[in-house]
Amino acid sequence: MFLLSFFRVIKFSLQDMARNVWLSLITVIIIVLALFSVNLLLAVKVLSSATVSAVKEKIDVTLYIKNDAPESRIIALKSQLTNLDSVKQIDYISKQAALPIFQEKNQNKPEILQALLELGKNPLSPSLILKPKDIDNYDSLIASLNKIDNDIIESKNFDDYKNMLAKINSITGKANEAGLFVSSLFVLITILVVYNAVRVAIYTHRREIGIMKLVGASTWFIRAPYLVSAMIYALIGVVAIIVLLYPFLSLIQPYLATFFSGFEVDLVGYFKSNFLLIFGLEFLAATLVNVLASLVAVGKYSKV
Amino acid sequence: MIKLVNISKVYPPDIKALHKVNLHIKPGEFVSIVGQSGTGKTTMIKLLIGEEKADSGKIVVGGWDITDIGPREIPVLRRQIGVVFQDFKLLQKKTIFENVCFALQVCGEPQSKILNIVPQVLKIVGLEKKMHRYPLQVSGGEQQRAVIARALVHRPKILLADEPTGNLDSINADEIIEILQKINKFGTTVLLVTHNREVVNKLKKRVVTIENGLVVGDQAVGKYML
Repeated sequence: MFLLSFFRVIKFSLQDMARNVWLSLITVIIIVLALFSVNLLLAVKVLSSATVSAVKEKIDVTLYIKNDAPESRIIALKSQLTNLDSVKQIDYISKQAALPIFQEKNQNKPEILQALLELGKNPLSPSLILKPKDIDNYDSLIASLNKIDNDIIESKNFDDYKNMLAKINSITGKANEAGLFVSSLFVLITILVVYNAVRVAIYTHRREIGIMKLVGASTWFIRAPYLVSAMIYALIGVVAIIVLLYPFLSLIQPYLATFFSGFEVDLVGYFKSNFLLIFGLEFLAATLVNVLASLVAVGKYSKV
Repeated sequence: MIKLVNISKVYPPDIKALHKVNLHIKPGEFVSIVGQSGTGKTTMIKLLIGEEKADSGKIVVGGWDITDIGPREIPVLRRQIGVVFQDFKLLQKKTIFENVCFALQVCGEPQSKILNIVPQVLKIVGLEKKMHRYPLQVSGGEQQRAVIARALVHRPKILLADEPTGNLDSINADEIIEILQKINKFGTTVLLVTHNREVVNKLKKRVVTIENGLVVGDQAVGKYML
């Protein structure tokens, strides 16, 4: 009996969707548009996070060494620093290696290169470039460096780094807050649009719902096909968004790669590696909104 | 079969639809409820199918006291009563066949039984050749016959017909009344609500007259008196 009713509910649901094909199509399109917007928002969030991470990744600390410091002492200092917990990597740039790097960096500034030529000797100091393990623990790295007492270190002023990091963290924090607000607002609007679309779809069925009641259909028998339809709409919407989103992301990926050159930005990869989480949650959310709208709407029109 | 005892119903603010109505309909009877528009005829039907609740009094249908019927019991009651409405109330997105099937499907009847019974009932009302059409693809008379088929398909002991000829021409109206008489001959109690004088006078059956919510006449073989 239950199984029979269950199959009938599925049949009625599919029949209703097919016979109201335009209404079904519009409902699915609204769900697809809503999901597309949500995914776009997610993509923007991924891009901004990747950019901020990449910028943070580029932050390093340079220890300038005195010009006359013997190489053996510099290597010893490097080994000492390698043992620090907060240090991820240390590169030693010798006085000789610093020159071509400096020249390459300033290749478009002929006046600097000219000044270097007129100087007639290499004025650059050797240096140790440290990359922190975790940029958020930058302060502990600076504290560790300040504790090191070695007379071959020429300068130990890290205030510029601190200020820059504080600015980046502040911008990131504000961007995250604004992003969270915009995302929440957007998701709320999306939910309301989908909720309303489903209610409108059921509103067109209000007379039929009344007739079903008069013929002796139980509330469950009336509601169930709409709930099944709601789930099918959500499923079609999510499948459609998967089919649409990947080609779209693949299409814009080269442009993003050019725009964010130097940073590793792989949206397709992100969506692939988080496939189940993203689309599973979207399916659950879409189903929940659709089912809720269906329950409210059918409940309203089935009081006969 | 149907008992209304001191039934009163007032719609807000103070429209008295029915006032202390007493009516007893025996099994197998064919009763016409007549009266002008707004006298409470349709309210009586609504009370009998649980769509409205009486303010006072007692309603018994087939031995079941439905005066305080709960929402969960209403579908069960409606599956035992066949109802025919003036505006047909067919599901527009289902074929005639599917509309009639629906009344059995909501009761959880097996598909084999449905496929056996429905064509037979549609044959009785003369729609066997048009059963796969949608309601809008047949005439008003045929739609009403489909509604009768739907009302009959679960073999109800009571058939309530609320102005079934209201939207039909005289030829179609006569056909519908003939079908109702045929159903009555099979033993089904028929309660016909109408203000069609011609129909009532032709029937020569029991006539209950309602005026301003009061039963003002009850004749065993009556005529339309108003």
